[in-house]
Amino acid sequence: MKHSFLDQYSEGNSLIHRLDPRTKLITTLFFILVVVLTPVSRWQAFALYFILVATLIIISRVPPLYVLKRSLLIIPFVVLIAVFIPFFKEGEVAGSYNIWLWQVTVTHSGIQVFLNILAKSWLSILSLILLTAATRFSSLLRGMEQLRLPRVMVMILSFMYRYIFVLVDEVMRMKQARDSRNLGGGHLRQIRTVGNMIGTLFIRSYERGERVYAAMMARGFDGQTRTLENPSFVQRDFLFALALGLVLVLAIVLNLWYL
Amino acid sequence: MHIPDGFLNVATVATTCAVSAGGVGGAVRMVGKKLGEKQVPLMGILAAFIFAAQMLNFPVAGGTSGHVIGAALAAILLGPWAAVLIMSCVLIAQSLIFQDGGLLALGANIFNMGIVASFSAYYIYKLVTWLAGANRRGTLIGGFLAAWFSVFLASTCCAIELALSGSSPFGVVLPAMAGVHALIGIGEGLITGVVLSLVLATRADLLQLQRT
Repeated sequence: MKHSFLDQYSEGNSLIHRLDPRTKLITTLFFILVVVLTPVSRWQAFALYFILVATLIIISRVPPLYVLKRSLLIIPFVVLIAVFIPFFKEGEVAGSYNIWLWQVTVTHSGIQVFLNILAKSWLSILSLILLTAATRFSSLLRGMEQLRLPRVMVMILSFMYRYIFVLVDEVMRMKQARDSRNLGGGHLRQIRTVGNMIGTLFIRSYERGERVYAAMMARGFDGQTRTLENPSFVQRDFLFALALGLVLVLAIVLNLWYL
Repeated sequence: MHIPDGFLNVATVATTCAVSAGGVGGAVRMVGKKLGEKQVPLMGILAAFIFAAQMLNFPVAGGTSGHVIGAALAAILLGPWAAVLIMSCVLIAQSLIFQDGGLLALGANIFNMGIVASFSAYYIYKLVTWLAGANRRGTLIGGFLAAWFSVFLASTCCAIELALSGSSPFGVVLPAMAGVHALIGIGEGLITGVVLSLVLATRADLLQLQRT
């Protein structure tokens, strides 16, 4: 089990850690919404959002370097989806290149939209990392349940969270076994190997699920989960939400004002 | 295919969230009726299974690799409603824990990889096994086609959402996404076939699950 990066910093005792998970979920959602709504070319606004999220990260005492590293892991996937944008937006041409057989043109507005999307994604990712780094996953689930996410889903998620690591370990062992047997051959053979691994994993998971269920039934499981954890929305949450909300509303107003 | 935040405009986010909320709500009701809430531990572990299976890469073409989505497998083994529920939980966990896919884009991602992928896979599988007979051959061909179509259709929906949001022009993003995923879909199809044949050989009773 080497998956400690999850919930690594969630036992802290900062203002952010102590907030009700509902407060954090809703403010994060609102923050991302405001970021996504910001028009292109509002660099001042993006700087403001960055200062906001950076301040919150510092208050939470989650190491900034950790947040930065985690966010940079995701960025390549974002770039992969956004990579076409600079080439296919219409507008003033910034440069034209001959790459092999293609005539490729890059436009200014294309680059602007590309950078804009990248900034929005990155800011959203930062706020999500902060949310999950400063909240225990079980509290997050409790918050989602209080926010009326169907109970079945909350329970599936909590079981999933418990067993992800068991199964990921299982996958790692299978991978190691495969690699030590020097997997070669063409694509088809490799695909068959992966298929057999997934099939085996499925049957093992299924049987494990049956055993867990039987064990829970034997201990009187009746479809309910009971927890001692009962977060409450207190004055601190109200003040935090109010402060953050005001800053974001101010940002929206400024955006509209100077449009 | 996980769309991050920042790519979709508000109209697309609102529409996909509304549709997905409706779909997931329906799935919660149907699964509650069919399986009973007591089967929840099993579904939780199978959600973790899908998550773990997505970590296994297979070679696609030209040195790149892809991984399975798993919606087709879940839909064939457990029925479309349970698959929607499991895929939604997988996507929620991926977005929250690994920031793979955005929070506002969750509606779109659940729509593509949960609802569209599960239902298209399920009905194509049903159709093929009805045409070819519910034997081993029918199961394998059905599994392959179901998985291929689920990946292809999910990526098409993803491309349409990106284009409608103005992130990329339609004429570029659609062929690019659909083309790449037509290739990845072959991998997903072959793997789904191998998995089904393994399940048929060892625990054939599991393939009857959704009928009980």
